[in-house]
Amino acid sequence: MSNSNPSDGKREQPAPSAEPMIERLIFNNRLPLLIVFLVLTLFLGYNAAKIQPDASFERLIPLEHPYIVNMMEHRDDLQNLGNYVRIAVENEDGDIFEKEYMETLEKITDEVFYLNGVERSGLKSLWTSNVRWQEVTEEGFQGGTVIPDGYDGSKDSLEELRDNVLRSGEVGRLVADDFNSSIIYAPLMEKDPETGESLDYRELSQALEQKVRQKFEAQNGNVDIHIVGFAKLVGDLIEGIESIALFALITLVLTTIFLFWYSRCVAGTIVPVLASLVAVVWQLGILRLLGYGMDPYSVLVPFLVFAIGISHGVQVVNAMAIEASKGFDPLTSARLAFRALYIPGIVALVSDAFGFLTLLFIEIDVIRDLAVAAGIGVAVIIITNLVLHPVVMSYIGITKGGVKHVQNHDGKADRKWRLMSYFAHPGVAPVSLLIALVLVGASVYYKQDLKVGDLDKGAPELRPDSRYNMDNSFMVENYSTSSDVLVVMVETPQESCTNYDVLRSMDRLQWRLENTEGVQSTISLADVSKIVTRALNEGNWNWYEISRNQTIINASIRQAPSGLINTDCSLTPLMAYLDDHKAETLRRVTAEVEDFAEGNNDPDKHEFLLGAGNAGVEAATNEVISSAKNMMLVFVYAVVAFLCLLSFRSVRAVLCVILPLGLTSIIAEALMAQMGIGIKVATLPVIALGVGIGVDYGIYMFSKLETYLKEGYPLQEAYFETLRTTGKAVAFTGITLALGVFTWIFSPIKFQADMGVLLTFMFLWNMVGAIWLMPALARFLLRPEKIAAKKK
Amino acid sequence: MFKKPGKRSLAVASLCIGLWGGLSSPAYAVGDVLEIPALETDLAASSLLLDITRAGDRLVAVGERGHIVYSDNGGDSWTQASVPVSTTLTGVDFPTADEGWAVGHSGVILHSSDGGESWEHQFDGRDGVPQVVDYYDQKIAEMEERIEETDDQDKVADLEWEMDDFVFNKEDLQADLKEFGPWHPLLDVWFENEDHGFAVGAYGNIYRTKDGGETWKTRMGSIENPNRFHLNGITRVEGGDLYIAGESGFVFRSTDNGQSWEQLEPGYPGSFFGVVGTGDEDEVLAYGLRGNIYRSVGGDEWESVDSGTDNTLNSAHANDNGEIAMVGNSGSVVYSDDGGENFSSIIRPSRLSYVGVMLVPGEGLVLVGEKGAIRTDRQGRDLLL
Repeated sequence: MSNSNPSDGKREQPAPSAEPMIERLIFNNRLPLLIVFLVLTLFLGYNAAKIQPDASFERLIPLEHPYIVNMMEHRDDLQNLGNYVRIAVENEDGDIFEKEYMETLEKITDEVFYLNGVERSGLKSLWTSNVRWQEVTEEGFQGGTVIPDGYDGSKDSLEELRDNVLRSGEVGRLVADDFNSSIIYAPLMEKDPETGESLDYRELSQALEQKVRQKFEAQNGNVDIHIVGFAKLVGDLIEGIESIALFALITLVLTTIFLFWYSRCVAGTIVPVLASLVAVVWQLGILRLLGYGMDPYSVLVPFLVFAIGISHGVQVVNAMAIEASKGFDPLTSARLAFRALYIPGIVALVSDAFGFLTLLFIEIDVIRDLAVAAGIGVAVIIITNLVLHPVVMSYIGITKGGVKHVQNHDGKADRKWRLMSYFAHPGVAPVSLLIALVLVGASVYYKQDLKVGDLDKGAPELRPDSRYNMDNSFMVENYSTSSDVLVVMVETPQESCTNYDVLRSMDRLQWRLENTEGVQSTISLADVSKIVTRALNEGNWNWYEISRNQTIINASIRQAPSGLINTDCSLTPLMAYLDDHKAETLRRVTAEVEDFAEGNNDPDKHEFLLGAGNAGVEAATNEVISSAKNMMLVFVYAVVAFLCLLSFRSVRAVLCVILPLGLTSIIAEALMAQMGIGIKVATLPVIALGVGIGVDYGIYMFSKLETYLKEGYPLQEAYFETLRTTGKAVAFTGITLALGVFTWIFSPIKFQADMGVLLTFMFLWNMVGAIWLMPALARFLLRPEKIAAKKK
Repeated sequence: MFKKPGKRSLAVASLCIGLWGGLSSPAYAVGDVLEIPALETDLAASSLLLDITRAGDRLVAVGERGHIVYSDNGGDSWTQASVPVSTTLTGVDFPTADEGWAVGHSGVILHSSDGGESWEHQFDGRDGVPQVVDYYDQKIAEMEERIEETDDQDKVADLEWEMDDFVFNKEDLQADLKEFGPWHPLLDVWFENEDHGFAVGAYGNIYRTKDGGETWKTRMGSIENPNRFHLNGITRVEGGDLYIAGESGFVFRSTDNGQSWEQLEPGYPGSFFGVVGTGDEDEVLAYGLRGNIYRSVGGDEWESVDSGTDNTLNSAHANDNGEIAMVGNSGSVVYSDDGGENFSSIIRPSRLSYVGVMLVPGEGLVLVGEKGAIRTDRQGRDLLL
């Protein structure tokens, strides 16, 4: 991990003459190396600048889960189903039956008509000719557009409009239940039919903001515009990614100030910051060259890379200052620092990488991408902060102020370290352990509420108070819709999707679902058939039934909305609208569908397949996450324990290092439960990152402690010496890492904020665990005589 | 006295079922709505209900998916009955507090003898269609005989034409039954007493029982309905005449307790969805599409009555005090307290459609429809609690 151990206790301090080959290779070719670095940085920087935001839907979902496999297989057939934007135009004082309001609505409808990506024939609003009212008369049907013929905005024509709206059946759909707003429904085309280009979500989202929301809210002060839809959500997410630049800047400034406070040396501040920035540039450049974009998850990796880079860089500065204070010139100081750091640095970084690689177990591309991005970042740090940084410093050297600071600082801090060394005292240690046990107990109690999945209403990617989610809740409150949809795909033999048996079985499943807690309503071709059969029988409710007569069914679905029947009539979807997307709701509903499917699936007739819609995707994701969670925890702890065992060759030592991490993990879960953060795509990696990076404090501190114990110090004294030499570096590392991630807490993207909260907590608390709990555990687990004996 | 013929035709019916079973139509694979009992659900009283009636002091309502619910507290709360089918039920009637019948899609007829708590499957289209086929066979034979006897060539052509119609209908019925199953719905049921009753439905279907439903016999031969118009509702008016409301403005009257039915044309071209007696001797109202109500005393002369609404009226109920309530689509409720002379009309704000109504003792109505049952005041407005 980040803090390279400046002097691993097990190795002898090398004599100045014993240069490793690699050191000679580097320091004898400093200028060519710098030129190579410069060229590489320019090249990778050029690429990094071209990296594109990528909120690709596919990467966020578990592609190997059967639900998603089914969904992807029927992707083309389902396309028309979910991709639309809905724009609610609200009259803030009054209802929609006002002249000015209708004028504005007409203009907005026209504007939306011309937006790129809108499927114009499907556009619906009170002003489009496809929104009609209909009535059964003695002769058959009678109807017209809801906007009356000769509409002129007069009181009479507005009254006529009101009547038409009421008999159009659009109340709750295109017109709000309270008549204070109406909707413009714009289906979208994934691909432009003329140019073949994919829909540019970002452009569309911006157009909706500027050409629709801003423009018309400014034109008519009484109008409030609410926009929802997958395209808008993706647009907002991309914008959220872009706002991360500000966080990067803040992190940079804070870290620089903190680094200067720590080192009191301008060069010792600027060079590690630059070196770490170079690491970030390389990482981004390499990602771009490998064909990756910046998704909302991997955008956070540069922050981690920067923080880890800084914490390694500071070791270099620290080591150089110590050498410089012994009177060595900059070049020699740099070489000595490099010599002391390159092996422990590489070991620490490699162990970080192992922690990240456990993420590859999760079958969700964004998480795998995150692992890859972080892996590349760590590899890059080895070059930039362990090679480039000392080489540059060998030209500049540490300032006198910096050297002095190192010399003075130790004495002052002694009292503080002395006090903290009591954590290893036989009287204090049991109290610490007791407190730890209480914390474990309390956490186990509080983490009972820990849930899998996203817990917030609306679009969980964004904050509950984001514009999008406010718009979404406006829609949910005023229209009869839910934003949580589970789509069951009903697969049939070709040209059979409208058969009586199919409709009847769908209807039966729908009724079972409507009787399942958490399901608000369902809809399918069966409903269309019932509604139209009734309409064709003079609106007589006694005919509201799926007819056994296939001829009647066929007549009833002739006008079925596109998307309910695919081209060869082998697939028809069934939509269930849910109360929410909590994991238990999804589990209950999917279990009901699976149970039904088991009893009714018959390849000759119909097969009920889960599951598309946002709820289907979430259900699949939850399943993958819950099954991956334990495996990942086992694996990451196994890797970390194995690395500790390699270093210390003692199970007791491993326990001293691992147990504080376990405490952090448990508290973190309790924290998640209490803060309403679920285990999800965003928070699962945090557990791996927290443990992988967090273990370094323990390894670092424990190796020092062991060294002193071997030298025969009693435990508390040995711990005092450990603190004196490493306490500051550990504290610095913890704070640097926390600084690197804490700005995410303010991200407009909810899951980034969640990650920020959890990582900040884990980085800081792991540090606390290493300083406070580790010595207490050592008091009980270690037998100092034995360690001292080992030495002899 | 009806037992003997009853048993015989039951045997015929079961033979037909046996034959039909041998055909193994795909619509009858495991899981047909006639075989699957209605799902027990809390939602039964709040989803589509299509008719309501009184069984003694109890209210009984039927609806989609084989739902039957009953209430012993005037519609405050409802209990779901156990029903052996899950096909949509459209009509219900209780001549006594215990004995009642419900009818619905697939031509199903259910019977209860415990005030609507439990139901048995008495009859369905699988029993009915072969009877209608037999009826057509009779008619065809009759026609052949008549053609044989006739010398007039013009008349022969007419008779052949008529006969072809029967042949066509018969073959159609047979083919449909084989391909789709019994798809003609029954739409209403009325019982004079616990033995004698009628079930009427789409495409002119009319069945009668004289033995409490043990045997049901098609009565298509007794009604003047050559075009097989839907028979939407049936009732008896004060004085004993029976009326059936039909499609396309036809009303049918029986003055001999259902032995024979004659066709009447009140003068409205649209469909009537129901008929109701006003409580006055021989007086009847037929109501239906677009808020139309027609009144007649005796059935020969009809006049239009202003309902105050354009919405289709689906159902009506009258009591002995001259009160009449009707309900319809889009929230329409119309009410008269003077035996149907004048109606007041309101539109309930929810604009939900109602398909059944009962005047309950006291001040209220119980409406059933699109979203189940609801209690209102006499005019159909929400109760103030």
